[in-house]
Amino acid sequence: MLPGRVEGPSLRELVSSVAYDANRTVGGGLVSIELLRRRFTARGWIDSLLHGVFIAISRFTPGTVVLAYCVMLGLRFHRWRGALLALTVASLPASLIVFALAATLARIDRYAAVRVMLAVGILVAGGLVVGSAWHLIRPYLTRDFRIRMIVIAVVAVALIIVGATPVRVLLVAAVVSSAWPVRQPRASGRESRGRTDS
Amino acid sequence: MNAALIYLLLLKATMTSFAGMGSLPQIRQDFVETRGAISDQQLSQAVLVGRATIGPMGAYVVAVGYFAGGWQGAVAGWLAMSTPALVAIPLLTLIQRWLHLPRIRAAVDGVIIASAVLLLGSGVTLAIDAIQQLRAL
Repeated sequence: MLPGRVEGPSLRELVSSVAYDANRTVGGGLVSIELLRRRFTARGWIDSLLHGVFIAISRFTPGTVVLAYCVMLGLRFHRWRGALLALTVASLPASLIVFALAATLARIDRYAAVRVMLAVGILVAGGLVVGSAWHLIRPYLTRDFRIRMIVIAVVAVALIIVGATPVRVLLVAAVVSSAWPVRQPRASGRESRGRTDS
Repeated sequence: MNAALIYLLLLKATMTSFAGMGSLPQIRQDFVETRGAISDQQLSQAVLVGRATIGPMGAYVVAVGYFAGGWQGAVAGWLAMSTPALVAIPLLTLIQRWLHLPRIRAAVDGVIIASAVLLLGSGVTLAIDAIQQLRAL
């Protein structure tokens, strides 16, 4: 389903892309994932299905979502070496900054200008995350998948409202979707899901 | 507090959470309430630093590690943040093996759709938070 060896970035391109996109915005890892998706899909290194699979697995992986996503990007193109390097460059820069701030006990929030910049940054980040959600949903807006997509979305929203944890939401969605009558998959919309079936 | 213990305690918290800040309750339980290694104020400061920094919000565990054990604790925090991501490797291997089965593929489709709903919620929450911060200024 997912090809073992694929055309993709060189190790240097992978590392620089992950290091740049995973460490250039506030608002958390979901924003970084959207930046990575844009870069990797624009260059044809991954498609919507693979991105969706990576997102799904990242959500089921303990810890920080973006780090799991970067590990899979690295593993996909350069096996263990890629996975470990991607993990390192995705986590180390932010960790060093956090360490430096904690060590100097910098009260960065006492300056109004800094607070404004952070708030604007977070607002932009929120927009990027919403955009990321749209990119995940869009392939399912076909006639074959629309009803199932709506049912799953409604179930997910209901579970979120009653306070279910994200993992429970995902598990219930998986059960509901897998119990749905199976048809020939044609969920890709503009991008054929079969493209990754080589 | 020695670095190995900090690593194990932070790893317990990160391995049992599924989002950057999801580990916070466990960390508070272990570091503030049970062991008194850091204060509530230090924990709040760690969260603030993590939130205001580029990259994953989960990086706040580095600050927790630093407050609990100096630079060795910070290294332990970085390792505890990074280690759980490696669990993705066996999960990806399993998915690669089973994704051609219609039911498994349908389950993955369901997870992707639910992930989008969760993302939407996170995005809206971030935006509301930012607007509230701007209004408060």
